[in-house]
Amino acid sequence: MIKMEEDSEKSSRKGVWKTLGIFFALIGPGIITSNVDNDAGGITTYSLAGSEFGLTLLWTLIPITVALIIIQEMCARMGVVSGKGLSDLIRERFGAKATFYLMIALFFTNLGNTISEFAGVAASFEIFGVSKYLSVPVSAFFVWWLVVKGSYKSVEKVFLVACFFYVSYIISGFMAKPDWVEIRTQFFTPTIHFEPGFLTMAVGVVGTTIAPWMQFYLQSSVVDKGLKAEDYQYARMDVIFGSVIVNVVAFFIILLCAVTIFKAGIRIETAEEAALALQPLAGKYCTWLFAFGLLNASLFAASILPLSTAYTICEAFGWESSLNRKFGEAPQFYGLYSLMIFLGMAVILFPDVPLISIMFYSQVINGALLPFVLIFMIILVNDRRIMGNYTNGWVLNLISYLTIIVLIFLSGAMLYTSLR
Amino acid sequence: MVVNSSPQVFLFLSQILGKKIIDPEGRAWGRVSDLVITIGELYPPVTGVLFLPSGGQAVSRFPWQKVKEVRDKLVVYPLTPQKQGEATMNEGELLLKDSLLDKQIVDTHGAKILRVNDLHLLKVNYSLRLVHVDVGLRGLMRRVGLEKATDKFLQFFVDYQLSDHLIPWRYVQPLSSPDLLRLKITQTRLAQLHPADLADIIEDLDIHKRSEVFQSLDVETAAETLEETDPKIQVRLIENLNPARASDIIEEMSPSEAADLLGDLPKDKAEGILKEMEKEVAEDVKELLVHPEEKAGGLMTTSFLTLGPQATVQEALDLLRQQAETLDLIYYLYVTDEEGRLIGVTSLRGLLTANPQACLSDLMDSRVISVSLEEEKEEIAERFGKYGFKAIPVTDETNRIKGVIPFKNLLEVVAPQLGK
Repeated sequence: MIKMEEDSEKSSRKGVWKTLGIFFALIGPGIITSNVDNDAGGITTYSLAGSEFGLTLLWTLIPITVALIIIQEMCARMGVVSGKGLSDLIRERFGAKATFYLMIALFFTNLGNTISEFAGVAASFEIFGVSKYLSVPVSAFFVWWLVVKGSYKSVEKVFLVACFFYVSYIISGFMAKPDWVEIRTQFFTPTIHFEPGFLTMAVGVVGTTIAPWMQFYLQSSVVDKGLKAEDYQYARMDVIFGSVIVNVVAFFIILLCAVTIFKAGIRIETAEEAALALQPLAGKYCTWLFAFGLLNASLFAASILPLSTAYTICEAFGWESSLNRKFGEAPQFYGLYSLMIFLGMAVILFPDVPLISIMFYSQVINGALLPFVLIFMIILVNDRRIMGNYTNGWVLNLISYLTIIVLIFLSGAMLYTSLR
Repeated sequence: MVVNSSPQVFLFLSQILGKKIIDPEGRAWGRVSDLVITIGELYPPVTGVLFLPSGGQAVSRFPWQKVKEVRDKLVVYPLTPQKQGEATMNEGELLLKDSLLDKQIVDTHGAKILRVNDLHLLKVNYSLRLVHVDVGLRGLMRRVGLEKATDKFLQFFVDYQLSDHLIPWRYVQPLSSPDLLRLKITQTRLAQLHPADLADIIEDLDIHKRSEVFQSLDVETAAETLEETDPKIQVRLIENLNPARASDIIEEMSPSEAADLLGDLPKDKAEGILKEMEKEVAEDVKELLVHPEEKAGGLMTTSFLTLGPQATVQEALDLLRQQAETLDLIYYLYVTDEEGRLIGVTSLRGLLTANPQACLSDLMDSRVISVSLEEEKEEIAERFGKYGFKAIPVTDETNRIKGVIPFKNLLEVVAPQLGK
């Protein structure tokens, strides 16, 4: 019984290593979700925040991390306890009509996000001198091929490796040789300027970090992992770890742009301009690392977003949705997935496409959709028929409601300012 | 005879839910919130109506016989207010909205998991019966309230009419509660499926429904289904059973599949199950457990026939006929000497065409191709390819036969590597 002896050996090695071992076997969903969150739109927002307002917005990352953990924890818990995805639960609890409109909104939001991912691909390749007419179709095909032809296991491995490349932002942060004492002061002192530009940017940073699609993606991947209720603590560690990591990366992007571009008083509008502005200030390697980080983030998110959208929608409407099926067996799933990638690519290839407004409006729909998703979530997570004894306690409910109210208020504020 | 005295009208559940309830004098009683059917008949009749009294909070129930007419409103004979107690459900009753609408079902005819968009009811005279489950896009659009709009849109642009996708109730297996799976009538429906299809369906379900469905199967179906299921899910399904039932199911599996499964289980669980199993079967399985899964020893089965060279063809055929049902392999009969050393092989075809009185030593082929216990799967695959056998015997260093690898067992290991 070779296998069994191995197992007993493993279990005798108690303590930290065992816990760590289980943790690494079960991680993935939380970390991947969080990292996809730092996508092209996210990096752009953080660059702009740093280069326009210096270090003053840095402190917002602390409450954002807390909010992210609270929201994602609920999703992970729902996934583990119910064994169902979020759109599945929404459909069964709230019926066809609500689900239908939610899915339509989600499709367009995620399509907008996908377009901005391909914009990120185009931008980062242009820094390296590659035309978008070459880079975008090749990347689109690569992303499509990876998911359609690969198995989910190999895809997840590729994604976990991609997470590692976010380190490039941390390295470039150190390359700028920042003043750590000042950063510490700014990080721990909340500053608010009551001017529209500052507030809009603050809302933008929140909005880009907490997006509707994440809750759907996270919950489905937790379900896919097939975690049991006993393993829930590891799923929670995964979520917390991922949420912290994502904000560490955001921290370094804001920091980098603050100590270089903001100090030099240069105005930028895109992540590409940020990367190019870094060259005279922090050296060409810093630019390259920044651009590489942007490419990685965009490609990563461009493969996850359409996939997550297709999964979510098919799950809600009961269509076959699995990477293990062939095209003909799951036409809606592959159709939606391919359509999103194709549209995302095609829009970018259009000459003179207004990229900045596309990115901007996709953030706006994100913000408009988020409150609905959060309200559905809080109702579901408190439903005893679904969650049994794993509903929110009153402390957690209080914090969740506060978080949700603040987020709804911020989303509303963003909608108001952007549509005015 | 008046033929048209029984008007037949098709109705959808979505058209009845929310209808106002009035009595002939025009007094409003409330709105329909759900319908109760009694399962058992081929087309189950609606036996009760749940409704929310106007201004009331709690849902009440009245029998379907009270319904006089179904128009734009539900006209009922005067209800006796004191009968309006709480809405209790009896054995064998099912709520249409609560347990079917928007929930997942198994289509046992098409072997698929689908989501219910609407329910199709037939009204004959005064009785209303459930006839179909609507899983199509048209049903979805009807629920959303866009049926006409979709029709016009499709008519105008592509001249296409969306058709209904209805599944007869007799092919529907509801999944929403464990009670539904335990009902005798529905249990037989899942058994109509091929074990391989059933395994696919179980893999597609969420973790809770997986065990519910699996536990509703009889031992034999459960064993056949388990053999076709993904190893990781196998482990989960067995872990949730008590050792007695688990051992009953595993005994029914082929020894090699059983050994693979037990090898994947945690040590104490596997030992608990082995203890519960019949001694003979447990011994066979234990022997196989010693070998790593991907080598010859792990691929082989011990359920095959050997005979001495002096045995006659008639004896061999009798023995085969006796044991054919439980054997993993019947195409070959292996000939061994007193020490158990492999000296020849004969095929079923050879036996059937030979003289019944002939000795096995006369017709056996003594050029036996065998592999050692430690042989790697690639090497074994090559032998299969070269010689075109249906099975290859496995021998130890002294040429004693330890088991046989049927082609099917090898295919399961090799197939995942064949690419998509």
